[in-house]
Amino acid sequence: MRNGSIVTHVVMALPLLLLVGFLVYPVLGVLILGLVVGPGSSFQDVMSSQVTHATLWFTFLQAAASTILAVVLGLPGAFLLARLEFKGKQAVRAAVILPFILPPIVVVVGFLRMFGSYGFVDSVAMALTGATESVVNFAAGVPGIVLAHAFYNIPLVILLVSASLERLDPDIEDTAELLGASGIQKLRRIVLPHVMPSLLGATILTFLFCFMSFPIVLALGQGRYMTLEVLIYYAFSSFDFGMTSSIAVIQILILMTLAIAYAAAMRSDKKDAGQTSFIKTVPIAELSWPRLLTGILYALLIGVIVVGPMIAVIDSAVFDPVTGQYTLKGFLHLLEVEGGLLPLTNSLFYATLATLFSVVVGIPLAYSLRSRSGLLSNSTSVMILLPLGVSSITIAYGLLRFIAVPTGWAANPWPLIIIAQTLIGVPFTARAIESSLRSIDPSLLDQADSLGASRLQKLFFVELPLLAPGILVGAAFAFAMAIGEMSATLFLRREQNVTLAVTIYENLGVRRFVEAGAASLLLLVVCFIAFLVIQRASESAFKGAI
Amino acid sequence: MEMTEYPSRRDPKTVITAAAVVVVIIIAAAAVIMFNPFQQRTLTIYTYGSFMDWGDNNDTDFFGPFEEEYGVDVVIDRRADDANTLVAILEAEAANPIADVVIGIDNILILEEAAKSVLEPYTPTNLSLIDDSIVSALDPEHYVVPFDFGLVTIIYSMADMNTTTHPELANLTFADLADPAMARALVTEDPYLSSPGLAFLLTEIAVHEKLLGTDWIDWWSDVKNDIDIQPGWSEAWAAWYDSATKHMMVSYGTDPAYSAYYTQAEPDVGTAPIYFDGEHYAWMQVEGMGLVKNGPNPELAKLFIEYCLSPVVQKYVALNQWMFPANMNVELDSAFDYALRPDEVILLNELLGQAEIAENLASWKSEWNDIIRG
Repeated sequence: MRNGSIVTHVVMALPLLLLVGFLVYPVLGVLILGLVVGPGSSFQDVMSSQVTHATLWFTFLQAAASTILAVVLGLPGAFLLARLEFKGKQAVRAAVILPFILPPIVVVVGFLRMFGSYGFVDSVAMALTGATESVVNFAAGVPGIVLAHAFYNIPLVILLVSASLERLDPDIEDTAELLGASGIQKLRRIVLPHVMPSLLGATILTFLFCFMSFPIVLALGQGRYMTLEVLIYYAFSSFDFGMTSSIAVIQILILMTLAIAYAAAMRSDKKDAGQTSFIKTVPIAELSWPRLLTGILYALLIGVIVVGPMIAVIDSAVFDPVTGQYTLKGFLHLLEVEGGLLPLTNSLFYATLATLFSVVVGIPLAYSLRSRSGLLSNSTSVMILLPLGVSSITIAYGLLRFIAVPTGWAANPWPLIIIAQTLIGVPFTARAIESSLRSIDPSLLDQADSLGASRLQKLFFVELPLLAPGILVGAAFAFAMAIGEMSATLFLRREQNVTLAVTIYENLGVRRFVEAGAASLLLLVVCFIAFLVIQRASESAFKGAI
Repeated sequence: MEMTEYPSRRDPKTVITAAAVVVVIIIAAAAVIMFNPFQQRTLTIYTYGSFMDWGDNNDTDFFGPFEEEYGVDVVIDRRADDANTLVAILEAEAANPIADVVIGIDNILILEEAAKSVLEPYTPTNLSLIDDSIVSALDPEHYVVPFDFGLVTIIYSMADMNTTTHPELANLTFADLADPAMARALVTEDPYLSSPGLAFLLTEIAVHEKLLGTDWIDWWSDVKNDIDIQPGWSEAWAAWYDSATKHMMVSYGTDPAYSAYYTQAEPDVGTAPIYFDGEHYAWMQVEGMGLVKNGPNPELAKLFIEYCLSPVVQKYVALNQWMFPANMNVELDSAFDYALRPDEVILLNELLGQAEIAENLASWKSEWNDIIRG
């Protein structure tokens, strides 16, 4: 037993050490270098500047508005996905996550065509009102920014919340119905408390993404708005490292507040896990008319917001704006080694390993998050959110300067790219696994104990299969984050490390529009297949348990 | 629950070991492939993403002869999106430089202390191939020497507007652009993040301060609610192309040549350089290359820079970079007849000297930021 507990401690400590070594150390290095050595503005200058204050406010407000919209639009989807039984559900679930992986510039183009002046939505509105001039433009200014952030984050809300809803105990629902609870009462007393942890998790992640947003804000805001992240990039490109570090400190303080508040909220949620169970599902054919109609209307709305910009991707893969003709040369380019095969191989290699690592690291971290020790769970909570809440350029520069260069990895940085991609996947795996941990019935573990299972057997045959839904969602997002990652990859990679996301951006930079479009489409297809595979794998693991 | 079909269990230790072995094998295989120990000597060139990547030729065409002559592998590492990031990377790697040569530092970026700190001045033996005025417009101290140059100007889509519908395009002024209808049709780039964007800011400052004798701040205040400012050239092009309401964009004077070359027809874009008192004006961007301080192969790097100035490389610049080759003895494709040429304009660089820019750049940018986001 003594032996086992040492192993347990090592297993728990390793991921934390990795985070300290590859995240906290390089970030602290950059901060100290910027604040102490500089060159550039001092911390006091930055903190007292009007620009900083105004930017902080705007960053905060747009993030709050975007988060509210994403949650409001995503929640019904989460309920539908968990409750409804229909053909092709796996495919829908795999497709829902796709918006998450698109590079910002691709989303901007999709938005201009769908929601811009004289775009698709505007044309419909003009036809309806009989107007000859543009009526609506949802692809500019604050509405454009907020809508694009919703586009990116709706998948997060839908998938995280529906994963937790799937564990809603049907007996409690039945009992409530028997006792005469109305739909609203059931929602308020039973369903909401059940999904609250995952909803809070999805909300925090969404808020962080919107808070850190940078290309979307600049492009759709047409330059009139900026976030703290924009200020960091400004300072970085002007070699004002004092300012870069000062703003990163503000970001970290905000992040710590959020992460600790969240960890505290989770700890105070003392509700015991009930019996491990599955939500009562309803076949789509048995829905009443009004409900079906509402569902269809919702699907249409999400379709316009989410699918519209994706259609633009498909179009851009075959239509060449320079010559004004349809062509297949984008796909032919993909068949070349440098054009498609190398980026695809790199993307899959990095993202697969990063996903694997973030799951392996995420499991012990999930247990740390559940720890009764406030210090351990708080510091874990802060560390796993750090890669999302602190400027990606700060992390990338820190990894290059403080790890790649001293170790000589800068010449061939692929291990570091995998590490960087693992870091941004961990927030998803650790959180998702942690929320699955909550719904494990402790009596199942006791039974395993009394049947004489070893710790490893218990983990493998009882806990892991029960954690499968959490691992699934976490792994899917970790994969999406890794394969869509741009900042660190752009900063660390050498010529041979080009990924699909990078190649899209590079092709757009030299007017190879169809090549970029074809690469975007390939990215979508590859991810769709990967998500299906991840689902299959986790479902078979789960079925093996019960 | 029915227990009759209880599945058989494998020992978890076997599963973990097997999985670990597979992962280790994959990583080891990748390591062997990627750290190829049999590589020949390499010369590493850091440059920005789109460098010489616009045409039908490739790096082997440009640099193959050099590789053969010196028995070296030339690695063109398009290491970053933009040249500012290149400098930051070189700074981060200063303790242990990988690159021998950097290409892409232009006549504004070289004014930054950070850029000079990562470079070693070098005067190529064949620098006389390049016109003196271009060499000194870039850097009189030769931390960098010219590779190519281009004129930054406003272009317009001829499908949406032309000199008949908008006669002011022939002699465009900032006052014309301040008209809300015109300002709403214009897309430019962020001067912090994009070199054409910065060139446009400097154009606006030079024209107002040096030609009109008025405060440059006013024009931006007039247009700030109408003009579309995109983070980079790619985003600006997307906004210009995909929004039905945007007709003009800040870009390069070679865009009509690009259009003519690829459509094999009359160009569908025109250029509208800024006009004042009988003359047209444009800002010249000169892109340079320099020796990385403490780079691994300094002697070979010097030979490489000289090689890049020679016609062997320079003849490819026009169609693969869509800039003018620094070596002006190279013949240009006939499509370049449609480009805005240096002899058609007065260079604003002559009005706004490098010393003045170096002194004021940071405050100009932050004042611009205050106006736009104020």
